[in-house]
Amino acid sequence: MDINFSKEDLAFRDELREWLANDYPKHVKDKMDKGEHLTRQDMVDYHKALSAKGWMGYNWPVEYGGTGWSATQLYLFNKEFGMAGCPPLLAFGVSMVAPVIWTFGNEEQKKRFLPDILDFNTWWCQGYSEPGSGSDLASLKTKAVKDGDHYVVNGSKTWTTLAQNADWIFLLVRTDSTGKKQEGISFLLVDMKTPGIEVKPIITIDGDHEVNSVFFTDVKVPVENLVGEEGKGWTYAKFLLAHERFGIAAVGASMRALNELKEVVAELNNSDLDKKVAEMEIAISALEMTELRLLSDLENGGHPGAESSILKIKGTEIQQGLTELFVEAAGEYALMYPGAGGYGSNDKPSGPEHAAVSLEKFLNFRKTSIYGGSNEIQKNIISKFVLGV
Amino acid sequence: MNLSYTEEQVMLREQIQKFCETEYDFYKREEVVKSEDDFDANAWSLFAEQGWLSMPFSEESGGFGFGPVELSILFEEFGKSLVIEPYLSNVVLAGSVLDKSNFEGKVELIENICSGSMHVSLAYAEAAHSYEYLKPDTNVSDNKLNGTKTLVLNGNNASKVIVSCVRNGELSLVLVDTTADGVSFNTFRTIDEKTCAEFTFENVSIQDSDVIASGDEAQNLLTETINLATLCISAEAVGCMVSCYHKTVQYTKEREQFDQPISNFQVLQHRMVDMFIDSELAKSLLFKAMLEVDADSEDKFRHVSALKAHVGKFGKLSAQNAVQLHGGMGVSEEMMIGHYLKKMVAIDAMFGNADYHLKSFSK
Ligand SMILES: Cc1cc2nc3c(=O)[nH]c(=O)nc-3n(C[C@H](O)[C@H](O)[C@H](O)COP(=O)(O)OP(=O)(O)OC[C@H]3O[C@@H](n4cnc5c(N)ncnc54)[C@H](O)[C@@H]3O)c2cc1C
Repeated sequence: MDINFSKEDLAFRDELREWLANDYPKHVKDKMDKGEHLTRQDMVDYHKALSAKGWMGYNWPVEYGGTGWSATQLYLFNKEFGMAGCPPLLAFGVSMVAPVIWTFGNEEQKKRFLPDILDFNTWWCQGYSEPGSGSDLASLKTKAVKDGDHYVVNGSKTWTTLAQNADWIFLLVRTDSTGKKQEGISFLLVDMKTPGIEVKPIITIDGDHEVNSVFFTDVKVPVENLVGEEGKGWTYAKFLLAHERFGIAAVGASMRALNELKEVVAELNNSDLDKKVAEMEIAISALEMTELRLLSDLENGGHPGAESSILKIKGTEIQQGLTELFVEAAGEYALMYPGAGGYGSNDKPSGPEHAAVSLEKFLNFRKTSIYGGSNEIQKNIISKFVLGV
Repeated sequence: MNLSYTEEQVMLREQIQKFCETEYDFYKREEVVKSEDDFDANAWSLFAEQGWLSMPFSEESGGFGFGPVELSILFEEFGKSLVIEPYLSNVVLAGSVLDKSNFEGKVELIENICSGSMHVSLAYAEAAHSYEYLKPDTNVSDNKLNGTKTLVLNGNNASKVIVSCVRNGELSLVLVDTTADGVSFNTFRTIDEKTCAEFTFENVSIQDSDVIASGDEAQNLLTETINLATLCISAEAVGCMVSCYHKTVQYTKEREQFDQPISNFQVLQHRMVDMFIDSELAKSLLFKAMLEVDADSEDKFRHVSALKAHVGKFGKLSAQNAVQLHGGMGVSEEMMIGHYLKKMVAIDAMFGNADYHLKSFSK
């Protein structure tokens, strides 16, 4: 056993740090450090900077222009970027739809879509959930009916993250309602500018506009935008979920938050909070070592399976727990909340400077235990596939 | 022993419930929250007409002389409907200070509060003295008031503020007209969709006749008032906790996934049972606390601390679970459920959070 990273991995880590020190776009860094909101353009700038370095395809095979990084390198990338307070990479294009396209799509689709994802010329969003289909995704009802050389799509998707910014959406649609519900699902790529698509904002409890309802009325989608085979969409969707194994623990981002929290708490002289912060640090340490153990297993040819649900459950509990401690640290000032985006150029109240951002994160992070397969669903997975009960 | 509410108390609860159900649905409340107004002026007038604004004032001051039990009933019901009207700031905080003081002009002020025609706020908090309200930096010397008060609930609507300060070396409560020279303030939104203000006083002229209380009297008034207000918002939290489990049970029975109501899943059932049990325990601690306050017992502060520590911790937990069990709907602003979580954050933040009251209790 050796708990240290190899020389090569350490050199790789230095390269990451160098980029973060020199090439992480300053205007993005400034806003992130202050907890301010990024505009669409900021997000594009950030992703394009990564493209320029050749890192956009961080989890892609070299064949398609990716980095071909090992699991350890991926881990270091997530950790270093998290610790630097970078925006989480938009997963929808690069790590969700792209692997589906290169695995199940045809040559034409690979040529048409993958380069634009690598260069961040297209912003993708994920059209899975529907009002009636959340945890039970396979029950989805949005219909696609083949009519000559196109499908006609009718129905609605919900909770679609940043659809307001998106150029394209990947959709799970029902092409057959006769057999088992998993069997009639297909995977479609749809241009958001197609007539008949309407995006309506859903405001969340933090006051932000991050998610949307997306309505489809007689939307004509060319048949060449079907990925793989009709009726196999469920297989692709499951493949997609399995693909995003690492990174969900968000260890780097939580470590950064922990360090910030320690600075805040150091000034308070509050032994109760000190203990809670220590508990949090232990939890993060346990999570990190769990991730490393899974990683080591993977690099040694193992196939860690449902254990990775631990990372989702504990990772999100820690993220949420940290925001709760920030709110506690704000004390009496947790009463004041200006809404998403903070006070901006308006007068600020006295009291701890972190209070507004802390409350926003506290409210916003409630989502983490709900989306990406809720934590209850993750526990069902562990009990079924790991405990075998 | 008898732990049942009296007939009058039951009637009071029904009256408030009826108002909340018929006049105060969540969508109406949302309209007000999104408008320029801080609260619904019609609702406020209705509160006055119903006599709710006069409820806790002594009969000498023109009130009904109702005690902490009735106030708790009112606040529990307010909690269920997430009422945003500034009852706490006017009636409980400013109102009790005035009512129990020997201040000469109090009857007229109280009349104005009861009729809903004037707003008065209590400025008790300062940035440097989190939760410790008896040693303010704000002071009066040479008849001039100087200092900054923060988190003044509903302060932006107040014509008068009662300011805690040091005067002649002792704690004092002085009455300040918000339009007086040297008074300025900024308005801020609270997480539970109300407003508060931060006041700066610069050489504001204070006469002897503006002093409501000094020394031990001021200290008692402030301590008693904050304790009563803590009881009230804890009762509000109890109402929130009851609604959280009610609404979650209802939602999970209606929401179907995997061809069945999600209430069929045992893990969710147990979570809701925990929410229910914690709300029952909160109610029990509320009974204890309100009866001790009613009896003016020596232990009343301890029991209010016990209640506040419990609702601070378990109220937030209940609301978080309520959000979780609603799935995406739980974090949607359009649904009422997420707003209980915001309310629980506000309640925990005010007058000492869970850790603070645990410590007070253990002393
Ligand atoms: C902020 C946010 C962003 C999102 N972004 C996207 C996006 O970009 N694209 C997209 O397609 N979707 C997105 N989602 C949707 C997300 O995937 C769903 O919210 C999630 O799948 C849960 O579904 P639901 O909200 O319908 O809750 P439900 O499925 O109705 O669940 C409600 C509650 O029941 C529990 N539950 C359900 N089934 C079981 C069971 N069998 N056993 C035990 N408990 C159970 C759940 O854990 C939850 O607590 C987003 C959601 C949020 C909140």
